[in-house]
Amino acid sequence: MVYTLAREGTTRWLDKLLEAGEVIAPVRGPCGDVIFSALRSPAQVVWDFENPLPPPKQFVLPQTDPLVKIKLHGQRHEVEPIYDDAPRTLFNVRSCDVKGIAFLTRMHEAEPADASYLRRAHNLTLISLACTTPCPAGFCTCTDSGPFLSAGYDVQLTDLGGSFLVEVGSEKGEAAIARAPDLFQKASEDAVTQRQGLEAAAKTHFGPETCHFGSAMRRVSTGRVQDALWEKMTDWCLECGGCNMVCPTCYCFSVKDLPQDGAWVRCRMWDSCQYTAFTLEASGHNPRANRKERMKRRFFHKVSAQYYTRDSTVGCVGCGRCVKTCLGSTHMPAVVAAIRKGKWHE
Amino acid sequence: MNDVFLPEIACLEKVRDETPDTKTFTLRFRDHPNGNGFHFLPGQFLELSVFGCGEAPFCIASSPTRPGTFETTVRRTGQLTDQLHKLANGDEVGIRGPFGNGFNVQAARGKDMLFVAGGIGLPPLRSLIWNVLDERDRFGKVTILYGARTPHDLVYKDELEEWKKRSDVELLVTVDVAEHDWTGNVGVVPILFQKVTLHPESTLAYVCGPPIMIRFVVRDLLNRGFKEESVISTLERMMQCGIGKCNHCAIGHRYVCRDGPVFNYREIAELVE
Repeated sequence: MVYTLAREGTTRWLDKLLEAGEVIAPVRGPCGDVIFSALRSPAQVVWDFENPLPPPKQFVLPQTDPLVKIKLHGQRHEVEPIYDDAPRTLFNVRSCDVKGIAFLTRMHEAEPADASYLRRAHNLTLISLACTTPCPAGFCTCTDSGPFLSAGYDVQLTDLGGSFLVEVGSEKGEAAIARAPDLFQKASEDAVTQRQGLEAAAKTHFGPETCHFGSAMRRVSTGRVQDALWEKMTDWCLECGGCNMVCPTCYCFSVKDLPQDGAWVRCRMWDSCQYTAFTLEASGHNPRANRKERMKRRFFHKVSAQYYTRDSTVGCVGCGRCVKTCLGSTHMPAVVAAIRKGKWHE
Repeated sequence: MNDVFLPEIACLEKVRDETPDTKTFTLRFRDHPNGNGFHFLPGQFLELSVFGCGEAPFCIASSPTRPGTFETTVRRTGQLTDQLHKLANGDEVGIRGPFGNGFNVQAARGKDMLFVAGGIGLPPLRSLIWNVLDERDRFGKVTILYGARTPHDLVYKDELEEWKKRSDVELLVTVDVAEHDWTGNVGVVPILFQKVTLHPESTLAYVCGPPIMIRFVVRDLLNRGFKEESVISTLERMMQCGIGKCNHCAIGHRYVCRDGPVFNYREIAELVE
């Protein structure tokens, strides 16, 4: 179904959504930057913003994710799973992040399914805000993940000026509308036409970043990237792991026991394939001891045909966050371009 | 939906010193003392928790033909194994698993079995060796070649004696560096190939040990006419989740924890790193 929602109606809708559970939305942080955070009041929501650097994946896959409570009674241990069943709404997330969460969910649904992640994901309603102005570093047209979505959202909003076009994509979306049904009117043909126009216009306003995955994929999948090229690129990588932390599709993790209340909580924590210790074995053997092997690994996982076959997509949603965060410019578009051209830019 | 991260509590029933830095732990599930529902194949591994310290992967060293308890042999080499070595009978650990593909025991029936192990590489093969010996009439000739750095580094010394005495097992042991009271073979594992008669066309070779040993042993076996599919090894990687999600053990798009850890040499050669 497609509706329209008057701009002033958003406050009441958000109030209703807040009654149903936590609402995460882009808000202005104390230093003026925009971040995803739990709302206290609808007035906090930012409507015109460049996508925050930390992606909203932390609300389905927290950086430190408690999995198992380990209790100690004398010498006797008891373990119990920790579940987060809280209903949450992610409000005003961008198209690329909707695709990112869909990617993570597909990965965690693969057998054996990860109950901890899936409970969070199943209780999450995704209300996205289509990008009428693409972000400067974004290249989501190359990954089919924006600026507007044709599926994958629960609700997609498009800012039409005085009102929003509201596209409902799932039962969870219908339920979100049903919280304040009187606010939503059936959309007019004009409103739908206006949305199509905005999408077409947005596609003409992309920045300089592009990412031609096809030929890079052929080379990465068959190991036909020169070692010398990897070496040149790794010279620029500072191994900070920033690309992994801000990537909406990165999910590698380590498991640690953290002390709590005289016992422990077993947690899954984000990790980075770019860190030396990621593959270090207790024996001292490290199959990816050098940076070149680690960078190769990252891009094999992201763009190889082997993973493309498994995931039905490249491991990139074109959000451009790695472009913004990488100090050495070994981000997705730069590396894909270098692999395609067979030379690094320096 | 099963909880993939929830360990089951097991108690240490016996702790045996193998070498100065290696111990064998016999475990029994605390809440299922008969091991109900715990079925594994030789070559599969467990995620063992030392609570407060975390989890690490260890191969199951005992045979599925001897249910009830299960064993793992661990060298003290890091934080978790250091803590594990401090535990005693009755102490509790967590167990998840079994994980991985394991050795295909069914497919090996009727074949001659050659086991080549170096140092701490014997434990994963020991599971299969006892499985074969407990069903002895289903398999052909059994040959075990085992090497370690010094006589002190040999694990399962009692069992080596037992295998040596058996007429249906050929066991040869060598050490890299001998001491004055050692009367056996001296040299690296491949020297033992000269002392046994092998029939490559009817034999499956199971190889486990340090990477350098595996490299030379596999080369020798292929030179002696073994097919790549008949040379089977079990790979080591830092496996954390055991279910192909955390990505620590990935080699290309394969996961050692889920697609392995047992691979034949042809599969290993095809892994794209």
